[in-house]
This record gives sequence, structure tokens and C-alpha cells, in this order.
Amino acid sequence: MSTTLDAIGTIEERAMSALAQATGTAALKEVEAAFLGKKGELSLLMGELGEIPNEARPAFGKAVNEAKSRVQAALDEKFAAAKGGERAKQFERERIDISMPGRRATAGREHILQLTTNKIKEFFVGLGFEYRESPELEKFEYNFTALNYPEDHPAMDEQDTFYVTDDVLLRTQATSLQGHVFEDRKPPLRVFTVSRTFRNEAVDRTHSHTFHQVDAFMIDEGISMAHLKGTLNAFASAMFGGEAKVRFRPDFFPFVEPGVDYAISTPKLFGGKWVELGGAGMIHPNILRRYGIDTERYTGWAFGLGVERIPMMATGIDDLRNFLENDLRFLDQFA
Amino acid sequence: MKLPASLLRAFVDTPLSSEEIGDLLTMAGFELEGIENDVLDIKVMANRGDGLSALGLAREVLAKDPGSKPTALYEKIASMHGAKGEPSSRIDLQSENCTRYACAIYSDVQNGASPKWLQDTLTAAGQRPISLLVDLTNLVMLELGQPLHAFDLEKLYHERIVVRQAKTGEKLTTLNGDEHELKPNHLMICDAEKPVAVAGVMGGLETEVSASTKRMLLESAHFDGSSVRKTRKELGLNTDASYRFERSVDPNGVVRAIQRFDELYREITGAAGAGVIEDVFAKEPVVASLQLRPERARMIWAMDISDGEMTGYLERLGFTVSAGSPMSVTPPSWRPDVTLEEDVIEEIGRVHGYEKIPDLMPIGTTTRGGTFGLYAVIDTAKKTMLRCGLDQMISHSLRDVSILDFNPDRRVTVRNPHSPEMAYLRSSLLPGLAEAALKNGGRNLHIFEIGKVFVKGDYEVDESPELGILITGAMQEVHFGQKGAPQADFWTLKGILVELGHLVHDDISFELPRLPDHRFHPTRQAGIMVDQGRLWVGTAGQIHPDYAEQLGLPEETYMAEIDLLVFFQNPDDELHVKPISRYPAIKRDIAFVISKSVPYADVEKAITEASGDVLEKQSLFDIYEGQGIEPGKHSLAVNIQLRKLDGSFTDEEANVVRDNVIRAIEGLGGVLR
Repeated sequence: MSTTLDAIGTIEERAMSALAQATGTAALKEVEAAFLGKKGELSLLMGELGEIPNEARPAFGKAVNEAKSRVQAALDEKFAAAKGGERAKQFERERIDISMPGRRATAGREHILQLTTNKIKEFFVGLGFEYRESPELEKFEYNFTALNYPEDHPAMDEQDTFYVTDDVLLRTQATSLQGHVFEDRKPPLRVFTVSRTFRNEAVDRTHSHTFHQVDAFMIDEGISMAHLKGTLNAFASAMFGGEAKVRFRPDFFPFVEPGVDYAISTPKLFGGKWVELGGAGMIHPNILRRYGIDTERYTGWAFGLGVERIPMMATGIDDLRNFLENDLRFLDQFA
Repeated sequence: MKLPASLLRAFVDTPLSSEEIGDLLTMAGFELEGIENDVLDIKVMANRGDGLSALGLAREVLAKDPGSKPTALYEKIASMHGAKGEPSSRIDLQSENCTRYACAIYSDVQNGASPKWLQDTLTAAGQRPISLLVDLTNLVMLELGQPLHAFDLEKLYHERIVVRQAKTGEKLTTLNGDEHELKPNHLMICDAEKPVAVAGVMGGLETEVSASTKRMLLESAHFDGSSVRKTRKELGLNTDASYRFERSVDPNGVVRAIQRFDELYREITGAAGAGVIEDVFAKEPVVASLQLRPERARMIWAMDISDGEMTGYLERLGFTVSAGSPMSVTPPSWRPDVTLEEDVIEEIGRVHGYEKIPDLMPIGTTTRGGTFGLYAVIDTAKKTMLRCGLDQMISHSLRDVSILDFNPDRRVTVRNPHSPEMAYLRSSLLPGLAEAALKNGGRNLHIFEIGKVFVKGDYEVDESPELGILITGAMQEVHFGQKGAPQADFWTLKGILVELGHLVHDDISFELPRLPDHRFHPTRQAGIMVDQGRLWVGTAGQIHPDYAEQLGLPEETYMAEIDLLVFFQNPDDELHVKPISRYPAIKRDIAFVISKSVPYADVEKAITEASGDVLEKQSLFDIYEGQGIEPGKHSLAVNIQLRKLDGSFTDEEANVVRDNVIRAIEGLGGVLR
């Protein structure tokens, strides 16, 4: 019996000595396997339990377990220290220079007009507006007649028009969508578009023959100018930040009555000066009647503005020509 | 319109500074565009001809600002409104485009240079002083908005005035020295014999007043705006007079303008005035009264404006208002733009102040917002391209011709282009993409555009939303952490298009085009098909090397164009999710030599059919040709991955499938390596 207990002591001594000599986590794992693993020397001692008289078994078992615990504790402590040392070396070895350039993400980049359109869409869809489009190459009727332009009126002079035939032109305003919508939809309705428009103008920093417009309109019972102003104020905040304010002043557009010219101002831009953005108003009763909409029951508002104006104002782009020239040095600044 | 503030202040006595007047007018709808040396530059709305005068703008100031008062001149001019002259046998109105013609005869006229104050006033208003008689007509026009014209009476044949349409073959040389061929749709002022002025536009050179003029006929008339507009456009003229007639002139101010001229002329020269004013009009203009429901006005403005306030605003603008429910409102003769209740409501709001409109969010029925149908497909296509690493381009629709146009015979041309370089509507997105590529160095680019293209059809023009792609060189930026970026090739392009098919849930396949597209490499292009190969949607391939050379693009440039309308018209395949197996898969590699004339699509199909339901995935992982392989053949290595829903695959079962596949490949002439 005592011989056997002595054997435990001897194995423990050898284990401790092996531990003392082992350096590094790999060597320590070997020591662990040799003494504490399933086939380790200390573990195997338990197999000899059967040869030990019944009365001595508890003492023997206890002695083995205690020896194992001591060896395990010593090993754990040494292992932790070794591991820490090894990681420290690894970290030093793996040090990178975080100031080196990152790798460009592989997803493509959106055009600034697209990014602006996305913002506009998010705003109007959130208010229950449906996105629609209509032809760029438009019939004279939808561009002018359906929008209450009197025949041969000076109002048309403000929109120099490209013609393909007498009746077919490049639309001068995104409002040309209205007639198409009123032909196939009945109120209540809320519709908007972001569309390409054309004017026969010379190109310079502030003019282009091709540009884009947002146009939105809604018709319902009890709609007033206050709903137009509220929506435009919210729109201005969405585009230019919460401090942006809208100013209405009277203006004439054949397709609205009363008509509005609206400007925005925000302390961050142009020293808070008013900047004109577009036209708006209550949809002209002649238009509603043309499409069989009961003007006693329904009223509606409409507004339009140049899409390019939004990033121009918000980011200081000072040349309209940049938008359709596809220079990545320009576009990469936004996406 | 440039208006010296002094001219305005002659009509309105106001404590406001010129800047404040400008702001007030801006908020009344007459935008102040600038102010310089006390001259206001005002943008007058196209329907408000009455605002093109000092009198008209003074009226707006008086309506909006209770602190401003009318001057004695204003009161006097207002009292002269509606004045009539005497009947005349001199004047013969033959065209209904002239509703009123008044004139006065001056004998022993004194002409010469105007006094300095008059010259200065006109110069400030942007006009050139000419002579006293002409300058006075211009001053009265600035004051009252009524254009006047001075004729040398002795040059008018029989001293008669005939207002009629021109006869074919008649000619007139206008004041600016241009000779015009006249047509019957041109309204003319004639003497007993011939045209002497373009009515409402410009006088004739021959009959103009000069230093030697002894007797003068002063014209003040009212012409139809639309007629004036057509005439002056065809004759290529644009004058202060025609500008006013196009926008409306007060028909009841015609005689008053002569009276005002007469007063100024007598004051300046001390000479005798005109005496009789001759005045012929077809019919008295009738202004219809309108009904105004005050509650309707309050609803539109969402403002609590009282009936009394409304009446006050309208009366200050010259409207006649009778109380009642509804109110009866008669616009003044200078406001032909007011024809509907809504127009009256606008007037009320203008005077009350747009700045007082409250802010409310829309009320009413909740509608479903969003992007649907075709527009959703377009959005998905755009998202796919971005996800595939392509950068978005947006370019001009108006272009010059290009070798990359879709079909040169079906180009759509603009009748009145701004310049020849933008006389055509794009028939393809590829020319714009090629231009964008070159703009950005022409190398290592991966770009796309979505936009409308225009192709002349048999009856009308087809306008279609298309997707265009151009890729060349490295698909990713070169980076030190990565050895070599993947290079654009046909397979890159095809992969992008397959991804597009997945996202719009439409099966995309590729076919050899029956008729090769000349813009693409003849043996490296494919027709893009949907609807089980039945419907052509576009073309993908390498750019034709000749075109690459001409444009200066790399030969290894790949392009595609796709009609997105077809995706929308061709209903989506419904997506049905397949159950996924919880058992392991087993793989087999098969390498074989086969003729290059056998399309890989056939091999792929044979493998699919031979392996049945258990085929989870097949992939071509190696192609080899050259040493050891007969010319005209190549060696293909394919991996098949097999899996069952209800249990593990044994080696033996996998081998049976593999052997079936091998037999199918042998059926195509393939030989196992």
C-alpha cells in the first residue's frame, strides 16, 4: 500500500520536473498528455484501483486525484504564462501600418443625380406618393395643351422647345406626366416623378439644354395651399437639413391657380439668402375639369423643381455641365 | 421691365424705400430682379400685362401697403379711365384683331430734343431718347402701359387710317430699316392705299415723325394679343409695344393715353393741344362678373380671412364687389387674366400675403406609396449593376451620330437643334458609355447607364428604357495586398447579365445571333434572350476591334445593351423555394476530350439530364487545349456535386451517376481522359 502511495509521489515528482523543463505551449501540451491525458501516467494509476484492497481504495483514489490537481494547477499557471509570451511575440510580428491605403469596396458607385433621386424618392414614398414616369419625347398636347397653356401664349416663350415634328417635342417640364396620370387614375391620388427635361438653350455654367425635374402632385378632398406649404417645408428639411425654410410668393404658371414661386433659405447656405427653387400651386380647375374630376369635391396641389439645384445648393457645385459629363473625378466625390 | 423709382413715386406717395417697394412687389408676384441707381428691374408675370406700367405697379403697392397713398396724378389718371373720344370717318376698322382705334391730330407740331429730365428718365428705363414726340409716346407707355405711335400725317395717303390684314404681295419697311414681305395673317395699319405700320409692333420708316414733320397723327389703339404675337414672330420683331399687347393692354385706357400725352406735350412746349380725339371701337368690352364663395377662399388658403377683408383687398385692386353669398365680383378692364373664381381667390391671397399661409401636412385618404412595375424593374437592374461593381453614368440624350448607334437608318432627329453636335436623340446607350470611358482615361473601367433610347419605328418613335454596360481592363483597383485584379472578359460580362436575370426572376439565356451586330466582334457576341429563349432583349460581346481602334478604346472592351421594357412585359418567373437537404453531398470530377464545335451548353444539358434530381451543382473548372490534345478539340474538366434529400450518398451510388454522365458525354462524342 505505502509502496503504491510512494509510486504516486514519484510520478508527481517526475511530472513537476518535466513541467519545470518544458518551455513553450507545445512542450507543455506534451507534458499534459504524458501525465494527465487519458493515457497519462497519473490517469493510468486509477486503473490499478482494482488491485488495491477495499479498505485502502478511498485513500489511494484521493491521493491520485490530489496529485493530478496539483500537477494540473502548476501546468495551467505555466501554460498561461507561456501563451501570453507567445501571443505578445505574434502581435509584434503581425503589426501592420494602418496608415496604408484601404482596398476599394467592389460595389459600384451611384451617380450624384441618382443619389439625389434616391433621397427624393424616399421622401415622397414615405408620404404615400407613387413613382411614375412619362415619355421624354412627348406630344405637344401633354406638354402644353393639357396643362392649360392658351394657344400661342407668351408663357411658352419661357420654354424654348426642341421639336421632332409639329406635334412631337422633347418635353420641357416634368409636369407633362399629369395628363397621363389623370387619364388612367381617379382621385384621391398622390404621384411624383423625377424626369429628364429639355429646353433649347445655350449651355453654360448655369444653363443646360438637358436637365432633370422633380414633379409631385396630389388630389384629395379638402386639400389647401397650407398642405402644399407644409409638404414643401418638410421636403426642404429632408433635402437641406432641419433649419431650411420655404418662402412662397405669387407667380404665374398656366397649370396652377393660385400659383406660387417658392424659395428656400437655410442659415448654412448663401448666408441665409432666399434661393428660388421652383414653381407650385393648386392644380388649375381647367385641368381637373378636362379630366372629369369634380372640382367641388376635390382640390389638389402640384409642384416642380430642378433636381440639379438640390446638390448644387447643398454641396456648392457651381457648374451645371458637370452633371452629364460623367467625369469620375467629379462623381467619386459623392458616392 | 426697368422702371425708375421716380416714375413709380409720381403715382404713389409712400414712406417705403425703393428696396422695400421691391420686396413688396416681389411678395405681390412682381419679382424684383435687381435695383441700380434707383431703377427697379421688375419681372412681370406673363399673364399680367397691367403690371408693365408705373400705374399698374403703383396700384399693387397701394393694395398691399395701407401706409401708401395715391398721388394727385394717380387720382387724376384713375378718373380718366374709360374716357371716350368722338366718332371718326378717318378711321376704318376692317379687322376684328383691332377692337379700338383712337387718334388725335396735331398741327404745327414742335419736335426736337426732349428736355433733360425726360431724356434721363427714358435712359434710366433702358430706352434711347430720339425726339420729343417719340420720347413722349414712350414715357406715356411707361406710365400707363398703353403703347402710342406718332405718324407724320402728311405722309398718310388721304390722311386716312385703315386697320386691316395685309394683302399678299404687300411690303413694308419698318423703322429699323428692314423690309418685310407681308402675308394676310399680319395685322397692319394702312393709309388709304398701303400699309404704314405693323399694328402693335413697329411703325413704318416712311411715315415716321421727323424734325421736319408739320402735322402729326398720334395713335392709341387696342390690338388682339395673339394676332400681334403671331405677326411679330413671323416678321422677327420684338418691341416694347408688342411685348405689352401680347400680355394685355387695358382697352378702356386707350383715350386716356392720348389725353396724358396731350397734357405733357402742352406743358413742355407751350403749344396748342390736339383738340378732338377721334375714337372708333367695334364694341364696348364687356367684363363678366364672377361668383366668389368666401368660404371656398378660406378653404383654399387655410386662412381665416373675413368677408370684409376680402372685399377690401379686391376693391383696392379695382374690382367691383357686391356683398352677398356668394359675392358678385367684377374684375376691372385691365385684368383679363381673371376669369374664374380661383383667379379671384388668388387675388385675395396675394394681397393678404402668402407669407401668412400656415404649414400643414397633407390630409385625406392614405394612398400606397412606392415604385411599381416597370420602375421597380429599372431600380432592380440598377441595384444589380452596382452590386456587380459597375459605376453609374448618366449622359446626354441629344447627341451627334456615332458608329455605335443602334441603327443609322432609324435615328430620330430634332428639327430645331441647338447645334449639329446634338441634333439626334440617342438610339443606344453605347456611344455615351464609350465617350464616358474615354473621358475617364479609357482603361480599367466598369460602367453602366440606364436611360431612354429612341428608335424610329414604322409608324412612330419607340422610346424604351435601356441598360448599357461597358467594361474593360481591371475590374478592381490594383492594391498592394492583392496580386493582380480580375480582368474584364466575356465571362465577366455574362456573369453580370446572369446576375441580372436572377434578380428580376427572369431566365436569361445566350444565343448566337442570327444576324451579327456590326458593333460587336463577329465571333464574340451573343444575343441575350428571355422567356425560355423566345424573346430577344439585347446583345452582349466584345467591341468590334475596328471600332475599338477608331474610338481609341482597348480591344478587350466588352459591352452590352438590353431593353428593360421587355423584362417588365415578360412576366417574372415565380420563385419557388426548394427544400434543402440535411445530408452530406458527394462530388465527382470528370475530365474528357471533346470537339470544340460542341457547345458547352449541350454538355451542360447532357450532364443535367443524365444525373437527374440528385445533381445539386455542376461546374466547369478547367479547360485545356494544346499539347496532347488533337487540334479542334479541347479537354474539359467538370465537377458534379450530388446530394439526396432523404439520406447520404454512398460511393457506389455516386459512381452510378458518374457513369451515366460519362455515357451521356460520350454520346456527344466526348472521350474520357
